[in-house]
Amino acid sequence: MTLSILARDIYARPVRYVAEEEQDDASLARRIAASDTAAEAEFCRRFAPRIRLFGRKWLRSDAAAADLVQDVLISALQKLRVGAVRDPERIASFMLSTARQMMVDSRRNAGRRDRILNAFPVDLVSVAEPESEVAPERLQHCLQALPEHERTVLVMTFYDDCPADALGKQLGLNAGHVRVIRHRGLEHLRSCMEGSQ
Amino acid sequence: MINGKHPTADLLACWLGELDENAAALLEEHLFGCADCSAELEEILRIGDAIRGQMRNGGVGTVVSAAFVRRLQADGLRIRAYTLRPGESVHCTVAPEDDLVISYLHASLEGVRQLDLVFADADGGSPHRSAHIPFDAAAGVVAVVPPMALLRSLGHARKRMQLLAVAHDAERLVAEYTFDHAPYNTWA
Repeated sequence: MTLSILARDIYARPVRYVAEEEQDDASLARRIAASDTAAEAEFCRRFAPRIRLFGRKWLRSDAAAADLVQDVLISALQKLRVGAVRDPERIASFMLSTARQMMVDSRRNAGRRDRILNAFPVDLVSVAEPESEVAPERLQHCLQALPEHERTVLVMTFYDDCPADALGKQLGLNAGHVRVIRHRGLEHLRSCMEGSQ
Repeated sequence: MINGKHPTADLLACWLGELDENAAALLEEHLFGCADCSAELEEILRIGDAIRGQMRNGGVGTVVSAAFVRRLQADGLRIRAYTLRPGESVHCTVAPEDDLVISYLHASLEGVRQLDLVFADADGGSPHRSAHIPFDAAAGVVAVVPPMALLRSLGHARKRMQLLAVAHDAERLVAEYTFDHAPYNTWA
């Protein structure tokens, strides 16, 4: 096959621009290995919230979770760039294990992180921040509009990330009942926050 | 899982450490690969953070447990507390430096299945009723946290709280408490 025939075949096909949102995580991982910087930015945008959730759950600190986001993304991008991630189809598992490893890595220190961040071209700081705030006046209104027992359970649950069994002991309720109240309360609150009540 | 997406209740249960180890590990891995679920959990936690903020700055009035009040105090919140037995009244206020004001309403709650709280003027005007307030019958106390904005807006006022036990279609007065409120700058 000559080059001209190959070119003719390619150009004869309709061009389809694939939106970033349409690409799965594995495709992004493969594009990063092919030196696609746009894919890196999209990869960070997608995985930053997921790593942050993991960090918040296990570290119980927003600041520590933000540091973890940066550490994990840097490590992952470095490996993806040189094709060191063997199976891009399992990129989610790879990211989770990287996050776990980073979290227990006691050798990390702030000085090392600063040096790496300064040398890294991707804006990791911006992707590490949560997207939006909850309108306080609206929340106040919607909380006060809840039935008292739903308000109590939501406040006591979220103030200290209190599980249902511990909360139930304080309120004289069983854990299952607390979960039902919590679920209904959250539904009512979100419905109100979205303006449908 | 519904249509490849975990229900909100599962996501929150995982966050709060209520799932067993295997279920939590599976859901955690799923969260790393699912944009919808991670966005959903992030949204719940954003609301949770905002609720915590409202509680800390007195923006929400509610009924809580005595243990929860101790937790607030441990966090450094400045709490003005009033303790009342059935039928008692108290002279009360709110100081500029107070973060929260708590009223501990003691009552005999044995056998009570549904407890309602009525907050009204002393003559019974402008009543606000909260049905099904949570309570621990064994502890025999209800801790009420009014919204700080409401307290700070009060001038000299006499207010009343009533605890009502509700069973079927009947109700009975469990206890009544009176609050003689004065603004801080006039309060002796």
